[in-house]
Amino acid sequence: MVDDDTWSGALHRLWQAASRAEEVGALADDVYAPLLATPGVHLVVGTRWDEDATLRYMRALGADGDAPVIVATARSMPGAAVREPDGEPVVTRSPVDELDDAVWPEAEFLRQVPGASVVGCTFRLDRSGWAGLSVAMDASADTEGVARRLAQAVDVIVACHTGILQRGREARRGADDALLAEASLQMDSSLDVEDTLRRVARIAVPAVADGCLVHLLRKDGPEFVAATHVAVQQQRALEEAGRDDPWLAALLAQRDDGDQALFLSGAALDGSPFAGPGPTGGGRHPTVVSVSTLHARGRVVGSITFVYQRPEDRLPDSAFLDSLATRAALAIDNALLYELRRHAVLSLQEHLLPSQLPAAAGWDLSASYEVGDPMLDVGGDFYDAVPRPDGSIALLIGDVCGRGAEAAALTGLARHTLRTLLEEGTDPGTALSRLNRALRQEGASRFLTAVVVTMTPRADGTVLLTTCSAGHPRPLVLRADGSIGEVVSGGLLLGILDDVSYESHEDSLAPGDTLVLFTDGLTESREADGTYFESVLPGRLSALRGSDAAQVADSLARQARAFRASGQDDIALLVARWNGITPSDGLLPLETWLEQAALR
Amino acid sequence: MTGGGLILVVEDSEEDTEAIQRALSRSHPFLDLEFAPRSEDVLPRLLDPAARTPDLVLLDLNMPGIGGLALLSSLRAHPACASLTVVVFTSSTASAEEDSCYAAGADSYIYKPVNFELFQTVLRGAVDFWLPRAADGAVTAVPPAAPPA
Repeated sequence: MVDDDTWSGALHRLWQAASRAEEVGALADDVYAPLLATPGVHLVVGTRWDEDATLRYMRALGADGDAPVIVATARSMPGAAVREPDGEPVVTRSPVDELDDAVWPEAEFLRQVPGASVVGCTFRLDRSGWAGLSVAMDASADTEGVARRLAQAVDVIVACHTGILQRGREARRGADDALLAEASLQMDSSLDVEDTLRRVARIAVPAVADGCLVHLLRKDGPEFVAATHVAVQQQRALEEAGRDDPWLAALLAQRDDGDQALFLSGAALDGSPFAGPGPTGGGRHPTVVSVSTLHARGRVVGSITFVYQRPEDRLPDSAFLDSLATRAALAIDNALLYELRRHAVLSLQEHLLPSQLPAAAGWDLSASYEVGDPMLDVGGDFYDAVPRPDGSIALLIGDVCGRGAEAAALTGLARHTLRTLLEEGTDPGTALSRLNRALRQEGASRFLTAVVVTMTPRADGTVLLTTCSAGHPRPLVLRADGSIGEVVSGGLLLGILDDVSYESHEDSLAPGDTLVLFTDGLTESREADGTYFESVLPGRLSALRGSDAAQVADSLARQARAFRASGQDDIALLVARWNGITPSDGLLPLETWLEQAALR
Repeated sequence: MTGGGLILVVEDSEEDTEAIQRALSRSHPFLDLEFAPRSEDVLPRLLDPAARTPDLVLLDLNMPGIGGLALLSSLRAHPACASLTVVVFTSSTASAEEDSCYAAGADSYIYKPVNFELFQTVLRGAVDFWLPRAADGAVTAVPPAAPPA
């Protein structure tokens, strides 16, 4: 038995509980217990109703301390509409035997107290629903006193519920902000359009919705990118719908303007892949779909479709969806820009390098080009291998200082000037001098380094190397026995002074020897402790003894890439292995072979 | 026990355990939570006929010892656990991991954000989806029993 002081204490505790609760149902224990402790009260039943007189929930608790009986349902009871409170709470008093079950579903519990009289109070919780709280009591109870307490409890519940909704809205705003921040962070970590969209879909489920589909809009219509769903079975179904469903394709194709998210539900989803209940069946909320259009680079680039199977009050608002779509579009915009630029850089780079190296008897030629970072723009390394009228082959490799369009223009100029001159039979020193002059005449503001080596097979089976260098790292020779030699060369960088002459140095290759030309991206690759790859290069090259030219080029490039902790310079390698004149080649007199080589 | 369904949370991090407890006690006060900090204990716990069968298992993928993925595979190998709903949590967004989780039998693969409010929203979304009546205090409709007179 509680007196009025104890009742006041109970109300106070209810307030305290309410300040912590996120769901009004959590207050049940603090509401039911003091009501049950009121003299003459034997049973308390709470009910929750949706707007359209659908009973969602009943909770009955007796005075004997047993666990509450809980009924969760979705029972439509049109008769109960008369109980729906309009504004203020409505208190009803009735003998239990006179309650109509079509109006009072809780009567099935209340009747367990034979001959009881019932006081019930219905009250509005929020716009979407109302609730009831009823007690069964015997003749000893003070009916008016019980009604008063019921009304007081309801007042606290309603106020608490309002507070809970308010706190819920604030928490949701906090979660929305966090999701937008997280989405931006995730999307910024990728420069791939599809990967960016996939990340959006992943983090939005189930925080924003139960399912998500992302599409890019291509010239010939929407292209499915990714789908996620909180349930894997439905994710598979969403993926299929995203790829093939004509209803969805038509919807997305016609969403070519409008910034605001479009919400669809009920009959608007007829014929869609989202119509009908989910596989988990009962208790599911009706499906709602929203479509947000993504605008980037002044046009529609895609869409995000969310699928909701949750209560209406937990759907995101348009402002939030628009904000998410704007961020996704921005990330896509960045990714598209990057794609365009990368494509331009790679295709320009391709045109600055020979599509293939010449084939010549006795020679095994190979090259490797590693782009340091395409984002940094087109690089300035170049190389080529040129057959010459005398049957020799000229190798050239160079490096224009810096990157970008101007560096690319100079790279093209340098490679084609050297190639043309060397092809005509110009000696390496003259070719470099004439390139230098051309650069000075062009008023080029950048310097470049280059090295040219002509390789002329000799009658004794060796090859004469004639090398001229314009400030370029010295080529290396991997001898057949694994020893490493440096091709002596040296000269001024190109593009600095008007008249420069280049001295040539001679060396030779024996069969099985390999000549390696490279740019400083190879030697200047640095480990975390500052060690240059240059210091380990002789050892690494020596270990490649016996390898063919392609293996040497690829292996050194790969090793340098693995070696470097910092530095994003391009790495170019041009490798020529002299296999010597094979017996079949060797049957021909050298002059004949040279003639043939020249014709090739 | 409050009669509102049971979630078994397989999570080794004390911090995340506390966060899950705090989040779910707010959004789903009627749910019972049971925590398993060691993945080795999970299978014996689920196969124990005397123990209550959880309505949902929340599984952190990054568990020490038997990893989340291995645990999931071994759960699915037991007929008794074949129909358990298992929601996998991960801090990764890599799609390869997602595929292996589904291959191992996960019902959901959920990204675990760092922000608490967002984590709470994510948890609520997952639990509401799999236990749609849990917020009302019941996992499934319970037939009315005779209340005390």
